[in-house]
Amino acid sequence: MTEVVVAVLLALGVAFVVLSCAGVVAMRDPFDRLHFTSPAATVAPILFTVAVLVEEPLSSAGIKAVIVAVLIVGTTPVLTHATARAAHIRRHGRWEDPEVDPPEDAP
Amino acid sequence: MNAWLVAATALILALLPCLWVCARRPAVDALVALELASTVTTLTLLALAQGYRRDPFMDLAVVSAVLSFAGALAFARFLERWV
Repeated sequence: MTEVVVAVLLALGVAFVVLSCAGVVAMRDPFDRLHFTSPAATVAPILFTVAVLVEEPLSSAGIKAVIVAVLIVGTTPVLTHATARAAHIRRHGRWEDPEVDPPEDAP
Repeated sequence: MNAWLVAATALILALLPCLWVCARRPAVDALVALELASTVTTLTLLALAQGYRRDPFMDLAVVSAVLSFAGALAFARFLERWV
């Protein structure tokens, strides 16, 4: 029973990652691509961690898997924001500068 | 060959599209693909550690999660200003 649950959780996690990779390849804009990193970075680590905890609860591997999931889920929004900011600045310039980005174009 | 090793193999194959985007697309798109690839790598290390029943290998996944965050953040700052 445990093996079946673990296999289903792993299959779901791998499916999320593969679909995210396909989305990143298929999109044409960096902002569109950024959306597809989120499923792989939020759902998949949680599914993998739940699979580890189902197999061996409260072991050192389980605790480390929880730490990995918390790190990935916590740091990916920061990275997404930083990347979107860099892409926006490269395309439109700094929005504090009125010469580079006129006020009527400001978001 | 248990379910963990099969999952790790599938995740390594999922790195190939990220590699293609890193190699062929502009710099910001490549950075997005790098972030996805670092997440996939961390999950692969986790699956390998669990598949081979080696608890100390799980530390590699923790280190990879921390260092890939710092690396991608540095890349984002460079792309924002200088590159």
